[in-house]
Amino acid sequence: MKGKYHVVVQNNRLRYEFDIKRNITIIRGDSATGKTTLYTMIALAARRGDSSGVEVRCEKKCRTLEELDWKLVLPTLQDYIIFLDEDNLFLKTDEFARMARESDNYFVIITREDLVNLPYSVEEIYGIHSSGKYHDMKREYNEFYHIYGNEEISEEVKPDGVLVEDSNSGYDFFRKVCGDLHIKCESAGGKSKIRDALKKMEQKSVLVIADGASIGPEMNELSQYMKVYPDTKCYLPESFEWMILKSGLIDGKEIQNILQHPQDFIESQEYFSWERFFTSILIQYTEKTYLKYHKRSLNQVYLHDKMKQAILDVMEKITFEQ
Amino acid sequence: MLNIIFGDIENSVYHPPTYFDNQYEDEWVTDPLSVEMIRDIDKSKVISPHLIESPVLGPISTKEISGGVKTLMLMAFDQSGKIFNASSCGDNCAKWIVEIGKRKELTINLHHVLDFSSAGQFDALMLNTGRMVHGYAEYLNEALGIKER
Repeated sequence: MKGKYHVVVQNNRLRYEFDIKRNITIIRGDSATGKTTLYTMIALAARRGDSSGVEVRCEKKCRTLEELDWKLVLPTLQDYIIFLDEDNLFLKTDEFARMARESDNYFVIITREDLVNLPYSVEEIYGIHSSGKYHDMKREYNEFYHIYGNEEISEEVKPDGVLVEDSNSGYDFFRKVCGDLHIKCESAGGKSKIRDALKKMEQKSVLVIADGASIGPEMNELSQYMKVYPDTKCYLPESFEWMILKSGLIDGKEIQNILQHPQDFIESQEYFSWERFFTSILIQYTEKTYLKYHKRSLNQVYLHDKMKQAILDVMEKITFEQ
Repeated sequence: MLNIIFGDIENSVYHPPTYFDNQYEDEWVTDPLSVEMIRDIDKSKVISPHLIESPVLGPISTKEISGGVKTLMLMAFDQSGKIFNASSCGDNCAKWIVEIGKRKELTINLHHVLDFSSAGQFDALMLNTGRMVHGYAEYLNEALGIKER
């Protein structure tokens, strides 16, 4: 399944309106914001149709899944937007992660827990807030808002330490950039190890660079860490490969077109997380060129001054200096 | 006194709102603590044990209040000895968990790091490590070191 889908769910008193554009969307946030009510309305509409009094408008079919029979039902579903509530214990299991990965559906999961088995994006973690009355002045209008995102960097950042999530090409790149400027640069060795690695960094102003496309499960704890240590900042592009594509180093309008609305190109069953797609097209577009990209270790051509600067220019509000 | 334990434990109720719907007592709903929690979190008014006035939904039953407030009421009034999963609570419930912990010996179970940054000064015993924490920064540092979720 691919694409962005607008969803409207309403009854006589409430109206929810939002867009779903990746295979995993998380809804969390404060109590009493209407998360369970949204879930209940969708469950009612799926079960009773028009006679429920709930209207669900979406190009794709919307439904819920229950603890009792999810394993039997999920393999039979295709092309659905499936809503899951927090009372389902299976959400944290490897089995659900595997079945979701193999499934040709989008999932909207209501939970405050960090689902470490699922690589969801920081961009797709939402809260619900009321925007007042809908224009008929009868219904309360509710929409999604980003809980996290790149708003974490709101002013110029000049780090004296850099922690890179991965240990492959992205780390090679930033290790060289930082090394030239005598800035400490470490690899966390994976997103789940970022918190532990942060504690070991002795620098005051640390910039964490991680794949936004899959960092979602770590965001609650990272975000709270930044509250206590406000000199720590996160830069969360989709991935390092996305930065190279975004830099314009690879010719072609097609790439910039893809980056403007990747959801229309990324088949969720093939790419469970978007960073895999960006790696795939970067490898594809640089094949047989001097820019040939390898995930494991960085092609040194990307470290030439002009190339390096083009990639760094993608990082708005971040300056690396001695 | 507030005790916090992370991860799967015995005698815990994973989804307190369901437990509440089947176990709550009428007098819990009209207790001044509940009235205030329902006003603060749900922005709703307790009319009687069976009737709540919601500004959005109009008159609703007690079973339609938020999962967060249901969990708080269980923490405050349930006498079964069960431990309730506070991951059913939003961050806007944190100050009330602290308040209930000041009134009684309260143990909560967490499956995520609840944000207590708006809960004011508090003390808590982290049962996974046996360490006492004083305030949000100490709580967070201790919680981030605990592997169980």
